Amino acid sequence: MKKKKASSILAIVTALSVLAGCGGGSSAPAATGTSNGSAAQGENKSEPVAISIMANLHTPEVPSDMIEKLLEEKTGTKLEIQWVPDGTYDEKVNASFATGTLPQVTYLKNAASLVNMRDAIRNGQFWEIGPLLDQYPNLSRLKPEVLKNTAVDGKIYALYREVPLSRQGIIYRKDWADKLGLSAPTHIDEFYNMLKQFKENDPDGNGKDDTIPLTDRNDLVYGAFKTISSWLGTPNNWGEKDGKLAPEFMFPEYMETMNFFKKLHQEGLINQDFPVTSKTDQQNLFITGKSGVYIGAMGDVSSLHPKVVEVNPDAELDVQNKIEGGPNGYGIWSVPGYGSVILFPKTAIKTEEDLNNVLTFMDQLMSPELGNLIYWGVEGTHHKLEDGKVIPSEDTKLTDREVKPYQAIQVGGPLTIEGFYEPKHMLPVKAKSEEMITENNDYLIEDPSAALDSKTFNEKGVQLQEMIKDGTYRYMLGDIDEAGFQSVVDNWLKSGGQQIIDEFNVSYSSSK
Amino acid sequence: MSETAVKTGMRKSTPKIPESGRMRRIIKNRAIYLMILPGFLYFLIFKYIPMSGLIIAFQEYQAYLGVTGSPWVGLKHFERLFTEPMFFTILGNTLLLFFLNLAFYFPVPIILALMLNEVRREVFKRFIQTLVYIPHFMSWVIIVSISFVMLSMDRGIINELMVMAGFDKINFLMSSDWFRPMYVMQVIWREAGWGTIIYLAAMAAIDPGLYEASRMDGASRFRQMWHITLPSIRSVIVVLLILKIGDVLELGFEHIYLLLNSMNRDVAEIFDTYVYTAGLKQGQFSFSTAVGFFKSLIGLILVMLANKLAKKAGEEGIY
Repeated sequence: MKKKKASSILAIVTALSVLAGCGGGSSAPAATGTSNGSAAQGENKSEPVAISIMANLHTPEVPSDMIEKLLEEKTGTKLEIQWVPDGTYDEKVNASFATGTLPQVTYLKNAASLVNMRDAIRNGQFWEIGPLLDQYPNLSRLKPEVLKNTAVDGKIYALYREVPLSRQGIIYRKDWADKLGLSAPTHIDEFYNMLKQFKENDPDGNGKDDTIPLTDRNDLVYGAFKTISSWLGTPNNWGEKDGKLAPEFMFPEYMETMNFFKKLHQEGLINQDFPVTSKTDQQNLFITGKSGVYIGAMGDVSSLHPKVVEVNPDAELDVQNKIEGGPNGYGIWSVPGYGSVILFPKTAIKTEEDLNNVLTFMDQLMSPELGNLIYWGVEGTHHKLEDGKVIPSEDTKLTDREVKPYQAIQVGGPLTIEGFYEPKHMLPVKAKSEEMITENNDYLIEDPSAALDSKTFNEKGVQLQEMIKDGTYRYMLGDIDEAGFQSVVDNWLKSGGQQIIDEFNVSYSSSK
Repeated sequence: MSETAVKTGMRKSTPKIPESGRMRRIIKNRAIYLMILPGFLYFLIFKYIPMSGLIIAFQEYQAYLGVTGSPWVGLKHFERLFTEPMFFTILGNTLLLFFLNLAFYFPVPIILALMLNEVRREVFKRFIQTLVYIPHFMSWVIIVSISFVMLSMDRGIINELMVMAGFDKINFLMSSDWFRPMYVMQVIWREAGWGTIIYLAAMAAIDPGLYEASRMDGASRFRQMWHITLPSIRSVIVVLLILKIGDVLELGFEHIYLLLNSMNRDVAEIFDTYVYTAGLKQGQFSFSTAVGFFKSLIGLILVMLANKLAKKAGEEGIY
């Protein structure tokens, strides 16, 4: 009897320890979308080709598989799409790479993510596809000058997804500006004045001094910082100084930008917690009418507008891009012609025949039919066609769930996909933002380091950039002074920054 | 097993099992061994086998070359760690947070358990117990988010109250000075209630006769607590203390990672967050493994130290 009792206790303890063990591990963030195999029933009777893809998920939920099924049907493939949330995308790619489990088609997060992969690319971990592109009618439409920016040692390993070169500008509450008699700012002083008026003159008319004029987030690049630095004439990542390349933060304009933010922060013209504010919280401040100016991608106005109007039916939004701040007039930073690149790991694609299958699929993704399908969805359900132009459905919840995530697996874009539908915007401010994005193309500040290479930068660049990022925030919040920031820069130089400068300059002069 | 032992063992049992003494015992107690098997496998598969991965701390690990192909670099990564400007900051932060945790968090569940033990109405006691357990089941993400909302400079309730009371706003979230108090308070809030379980169980096992006898002698409630309750749970406290020290460097990666930002990195960066940033975000697998290895080493030393101290003090220790 006693023995029995002992064993039952032991059993419980064992069970508990196993359970505790399970509880400790965190669950993997990746969600896998699988399909149920009834793919190639149409004209294609042969065995469907299995294709695995890792893609960046920008919406909170994994999409429905409606588009995926259509894609499988039309291309005779069986897709396995791994959706990875945007916030942890780079980490997931790094971890999969380390364990040799990258899928056949690997989308990187953005242009900067390519830097981390350069060494691996050089070591032959990915298929070189440059010489093969001619064989594919659609892929051969990708622009050589953009492909060149993605090249490693002059060889092309990647396809790319297009984004407009510069979407940066401001979105602001026109009704507030009108009430205070302000027009769209064209100079940084007018911009400052707008923020000041929004703060002091009670634009929302609730009788309380409670508005936060500018809403920003914890991002020095896609938040407000880099755009304002462009207005003030700061170079894009790297700039030329006395014939040599130097990083942006060694230019006086960078300091000027930090001083501007310091002033905004001190005077309460920006949300006080901006270094720790998430994108969602940033947008919420704008949507709920606590704040009146948003700096970022002007195209966001289409998703912000319905939400703002839902809270306050009288609200009006407007966009503006050209704001001057320096002696050289208006300028705006740009991306190097691609939003993200697509790599093909040799660990997942074993033979050239497999590579051909994968590239054929990618080629089909760029066809007019499928290119439009993954971007605009199904006609009649997600959009209407009028005069050959597409009118997106107003049910954004539906398109967010069924279409928007698939835009992440686009290859090329409007400039390279033949017969890509042009949108006809029902929202005038959205149309205006599109015009301004096109207009930005005449004022681009390009990153001269985009096609350059530095061994130290590949190894330590990200880590070193963290130092500068910390220093920048601490300066803007008044934690350190100019001498303090200078010592951060000195530390950067000492920890490998000087090598990066030297290596980039060697690469720069040889490319000239 | 010696020959004689085997023979005596054989004589006593059925001659059908001609194995050695150990084997025989295993077969005899197979039910118990079978039951221990899942636990054994768990430790083997999830704890011991992955340990072999530590090898890459001594390599320049490159994913495409694998463990077998990557070049050996000896102690290069450790050298880099010790010469890294951040090293002493990280070591200091990790140890300091640990000691703060020990000093401020560790006694709280004991005090709470003592208080609960004195509650006379059973219903009320159970109610309070349930209430203090609840935070343990919330994830750090939720706890940190709630604190963010409360402590924000833009209309956070705490700062609003401070302004109403005539004080200046304090930037809790982005201040080096406030990080540590904030961390310890959040740990106490989430874990203190849950920590009382074991102490309460130990207190329930105390012989009520002791209390009755002390009452006869006229001891007050406080005297009873001091002379009966606390000495009775002393060994439990010591064991938990040693276990806690074993977790020295498990300060809660998620928790700190969520609180970490540019403004408090000098006090908030610890080994776990550093390993994550260097390893997963920047792909320096070998270096981050070396950092993790070093961290475990400190943990091991501290546990052995604590165990030794406990034995010196006449307690049982954990091994």
